[in-house]
Amino acid sequence: MPGWQPSPEVQALYADHMESPAALGAERAVHYTEYWKSKAAKGHPPCIQNAEAMAYHLDRRSIQIHPGELIIGSHTEHRIGAVCHIEKAGTVMLEDLFRFEKRPVNPIRLEPGTKRALLRSPIPYWLNRNVAMRSFPLIERLKYAGDQLRATHFVINEAGGVAHFLPDYERVIRLGTDGLRAKVQERIDQGELDQEGHDYLEASLVSLAAIERFADRYRDEARRQGRDDVVEILSQVPRRPARNLREALQLIWFFQLLIQVESLDQGISLGRMDQYLYPLFREEMKQPDFNADRVRDLFAAFCIKLSEVVPLFSGRVTEYFAGLPTGQVISVGGLDADGNDCTNELTYLLLDVMEGFKTRQPNWHARVSAQSDPTYVKRVVEVIAGGGGSPALYNDDAIMPAMVERGVDSSKAWNYATVGCVEPALQGESFTSSDAAIFNLAIGMELLLGGGHRLKRGDIRERPWLRKIHSTAELLEELEEQTDERIAELKHSLDAIETANARFFPTPLSSLTIGGCIENATDSTRGGAWYNASGIQGVGVADLANSLAVIEKLVFQDEQYTLEDLANACAANFDGQEALRARALKVSAFGNDDPLVDDLANGVAAIFDRCVSRHTNTRGGRWMPGFYSMTTHQGFGKQTGALPSGRLAGRPLADGLAPVDGSDRLGPTASLNSVAKLDHRRFGNGININVKFDSASVAGRQGRDALEALIRGYFSQGGMQLQINVLDAGILEQAMKDPDSHRNVLVRISGYCAYFVDLTPGMQQELINRTRQRT
Amino acid sequence: MEPTAPVFDIQRFSLHDGPGVRSLVFLKGCSLHCPWCQNPESQSVKPVVAFYADRCKESFECATVCPNDAIRREGFRLDYERCDQCALCVDACAYEALKLIGEDLTPTQLVERLLVDQPYYESSGGGVTFTGGEPTLHHRFMKHTLELCKEAGIHTNLETSGTFSWEKWEETLRLLDLIYFDLKILDAELHEMHLGGGFDRIMENAAKLVAHDFPVEFRMALIPGFTDTPANIEAAVELLQELGQDRIHLLAYHNMGEAKIDIIQGKHPKLGLARYSDGRWQELHNSFEARGIEVLGSH
Repeated sequence: MPGWQPSPEVQALYADHMESPAALGAERAVHYTEYWKSKAAKGHPPCIQNAEAMAYHLDRRSIQIHPGELIIGSHTEHRIGAVCHIEKAGTVMLEDLFRFEKRPVNPIRLEPGTKRALLRSPIPYWLNRNVAMRSFPLIERLKYAGDQLRATHFVINEAGGVAHFLPDYERVIRLGTDGLRAKVQERIDQGELDQEGHDYLEASLVSLAAIERFADRYRDEARRQGRDDVVEILSQVPRRPARNLREALQLIWFFQLLIQVESLDQGISLGRMDQYLYPLFREEMKQPDFNADRVRDLFAAFCIKLSEVVPLFSGRVTEYFAGLPTGQVISVGGLDADGNDCTNELTYLLLDVMEGFKTRQPNWHARVSAQSDPTYVKRVVEVIAGGGGSPALYNDDAIMPAMVERGVDSSKAWNYATVGCVEPALQGESFTSSDAAIFNLAIGMELLLGGGHRLKRGDIRERPWLRKIHSTAELLEELEEQTDERIAELKHSLDAIETANARFFPTPLSSLTIGGCIENATDSTRGGAWYNASGIQGVGVADLANSLAVIEKLVFQDEQYTLEDLANACAANFDGQEALRARALKVSAFGNDDPLVDDLANGVAAIFDRCVSRHTNTRGGRWMPGFYSMTTHQGFGKQTGALPSGRLAGRPLADGLAPVDGSDRLGPTASLNSVAKLDHRRFGNGININVKFDSASVAGRQGRDALEALIRGYFSQGGMQLQINVLDAGILEQAMKDPDSHRNVLVRISGYCAYFVDLTPGMQQELINRTRQRT
Repeated sequence: MEPTAPVFDIQRFSLHDGPGVRSLVFLKGCSLHCPWCQNPESQSVKPVVAFYADRCKESFECATVCPNDAIRREGFRLDYERCDQCALCVDACAYEALKLIGEDLTPTQLVERLLVDQPYYESSGGGVTFTGGEPTLHHRFMKHTLELCKEAGIHTNLETSGTFSWEKWEETLRLLDLIYFDLKILDAELHEMHLGGGFDRIMENAAKLVAHDFPVEFRMALIPGFTDTPANIEAAVELLQELGQDRIHLLAYHNMGEAKIDIIQGKHPKLGLARYSDGRWQELHNSFEARGIEVLGSH
C-alpha cells in the first residue's frame, strides 16, 4: 500500500526549505542593544524592559511571506535562521563569529554586514552584561567561564536562558490574545498586587500587544502579496480563538516562534497535539469538503516551520549538542484520565506525516501503554521500521508512576507530554526547565582514583589513599561523597544563573503560556508556574557501572590487581597494560542481563538521584534526575581519562542510559532487560535508550512483529523510553563521503532527530560502527 | 539428583526457528556426522576447550595455570590427549582466545536462564527451541527441562534429526508445542555413507509423528550435491506426500560453520561450496512448489 505523499505544493515548499542555508539572524541582537542603550529602557523594571525590548525588535524585524506557505512567520529575518540571544549565551556563541561560515560541521551563513553590525554595538555592550557575567562576582566569573569552556564536569544550559517547557497551547488557541489579555486584566482587577506583581502583569500586556502588532505586519504583507487566504486567517488569529486547524496551527506557530525568540530556542515543546487539536479536527471532519490529505499537508507545512529554527551553537558547543537540535516535541497517543487509550483519527494522520514527511523537527514522540490500542502500536512500529528514527517511544506505565513519585498529582499524570529530548511534564501548568544542566558522572571515577584530582597522563606513582578502600561498597560511598560535592558546585553555579535570569531577563511573553504565572502575578523565571522543577542529567552510568564491576572482579574478588594498579593503568591510558585492559573488557558489562553489574548501575543511578534530588531550584521546584546525553557523551568523553572499564581516554561515554557501545554481547533482549532492571521511579526527568537495527533485520512483517515484541517485552518490565534507529551502514558511509547527495538522511541521536550530514565526524562514525555491529 | 546436559550456546532474540522471538538452546552431542554440519563443535558430547588463534597474544598464561601440561607453544595450543577440560586456561587468558564449549547445566539452571526473556516470548508468541547437536540424546535432561518449561508456560520447539528411540521419547514428545523434523538424505545407502546409521529409524519416526498427530513440521537443508539432487528432492516430495504433508521449510547451504572447525582442530572436511545464486534457489523452490508442496523460508 503506497503511503501518503505530500501534495506537489508542499513538496515544492520543502524543496525551497532544503535549499535555504541556515543564516545568522543578527537583527534581534541589534534591536535589543538599541533598546537597552536607549532612554526608553532606563528606569523600567526588568520585566517591562524585556517585554519592551521584544516589542521593539518585533516592530522592526524584517518579515517575509514565502510563496506557497500555509503557515507564515519566521524565526529570524532569514528563512532558516539562528537567532542570537545576545543578552544570554549569544555573546559566548559569537566566539565563532569568524568561523560560522567556514566550519565543516553545521555551517551558518552570515549576510554581508552581519559581522560588522554585531561587532559595532551588541558584542561590546553585552560582553559584561550578559547572564553569565551578571551571575557571579568577578573572580568566580573567570572560574565559571573557564569551567564552561572546557565543560569537563557539567554543562549549564540555563546560561542560555530558561527553556524546555510545554506552553499551554490548548489555552492559547481557545482564548487568543484577546482572551489572554482578559485574564491578565482580571488579575489586575482582583488587586492585592505588590509592585513586582503589578509590573509583571503590565509587561504581559506589553507582550500581548507586541504579538498582535507583529501579526498585523504579516497581515499587511499578505495583503500586499494578494494572499487572501493568509489575510483571512490573520484577521481572526492571534487576537481571537482559532476556528479551524489552520488558524490553530498559525496561532500556535506565532507563540512557538516568539517564545523561542524571547527565551531560548531549546526544548519548547508542543505537547499532545492529537488531543488538544482533536475538537477542531472533529468539526472539520463533519464538513462536506473535508479532505484528510489537506490536513496532512497542513501539518507537513507546520513541520517545515519547526525545522526553520536552528540553534546558534559555537563549534565548542556543537561537540556536546551536534545536529542542530531544538527539541520541539510533538507527542501523540497515550491514555486519558480514566486510563483508556485515547488515540483518534488525528493520531493516525500525524503518524502518516511522520512516515511520509521526514524533517529535522519536530521531535516526534509516541506514548505507548499496555492499554494502547493494538492497531495504534502496530502502526507506530510500521512507521519506525520505515527508518528516520521517528517516533521515539514513551511508556505510560513507567512514566506516570515516576512522575507521581516526584510530586506530580496522580490525578493529572495521565496528561503528561514530553519536553525537549525525553523529559515528561504536565502541559500548561508546569515550568520544568528539564534540561537545566548535564553532568559528567563518569569522570567521578577518574577523580576517585586520582584522590580528588584528574589523572595526569603517564603519572605512575603510589596512591596511598586507594589502599584504604577494601570493597566496592566503600568505593560507592566515596563516589557518592565526591559526586555530591561536585553537584553542590553545579548547584552554586546554576542558582546564580537562575537568579540572574530571574532578576535581569524575565520572560513575560513565554510566561503567558504557563499556567500559574498570570494567577500568581509572577514571571515563570521567578517561580510563577503552578509546578516548578529543574532537570539535571547524568551521563556515563554504564561506564561507571562497568568500571565498578571490573574493580569488584579483578581487585576485590580475584585479588589479581590492586586499585593502585588500575589507577596507574588508567593514568597510562593502558599503554603497556594491554593484558589488564583485556581482562577488564572480559568482565561482564552492563547490558548483558548480569545481576552483578546491573545492580552496580542501579547503585550509580541511585547515587546520582540522591545527590540531585536533595536540591531545589530558586523557583521553589525540585531538582529531577534524568539520564540522557544528547551528544554530550562525546563531548564529556573527550575530556575524560581512561577508566577501569577498559575505556580509553577521550573515547565517547555511553549514550544516555544505554550500555557501552559493543559491550552488550547477548543481543537486544539482554540489553533491554539490564536497562529495565534499573529503578525507573528515580528517573523523573526521563531516560534515553537508543537501539539500532540494520534495515534488513526489521524488514517485512516478521521484522516488524519482532520489533513490536521487543518494545512490548521491554515496556512490560518497566522500561521507560526507547528509540529505534533503522539504518543501513552502506547508506551512512555514502552519506559521510558524499554529504551533498544525502542531505535528507535522518538519524535519531539521544532524544532528537538530526540530518546525518549535520553531525560531527566522530558522531557519524559512531553511528556507522553501531550499525555495522548489528549487520 | 537432576540430570545435566552440555549446553554450548543460548542464542537470544532469534527470529527464524519457530514462531515469535525465541531463545535457541544448543546441546552438544550428535549421532550423525553430516559433512555440512553448521556446528561441528557440537558433534562430540564432551565439553571441549576451543582455541581462537586470531585472538592469541602469546602471553602463555594458559600454560602457567594448566595442571596437565596440555598447552603447546607452537601451532594449535591444545593437546587434547592431555586436556581434561578443567578450563583453568579459559579463565587465565585475558584475551578470550580460549573458550570452553559446552557447560553442564541442570534443567533448573537452564530454565532460569531462559526465563529472563519470558516477556519477549509472551509479547511475540515465541518461546524456546532446542537444537544442537541432537537434543534427543539427552532424554532425562530434556524431559525434565520440558516439564519445567510447561510449568512456566514457555512455548517449546524441538529440532531433531529423527534418530531418537520412539519407545523412550513418545511420552516426552507430548510435552512439546512444535517439532521441527529435519529431512536430509533420503536414500538409505547414501545416508549411511555420508551421515552414519539410523536411516530406518528416522523414516519410522517421521511416519509415527504424523500418524499420532504430533505438531510436526518438516525442514530440509539444501546442500549442493548432497541433498539438492533431483533424486533426493523427488524422494523428499514423495515422502511428504505419503505423509500427507503439504509444506516444508527449506534452508539454504552456507559455509559459516566451517570456520569453527579450526577452533577445535576438527577433522571434519570443509566443503567450501559456493552459496546458491538467486536463480538456482528459485529453481529448487519450484521443484517443491510444482508438486504442490508449499515452501517456507528464504535464501
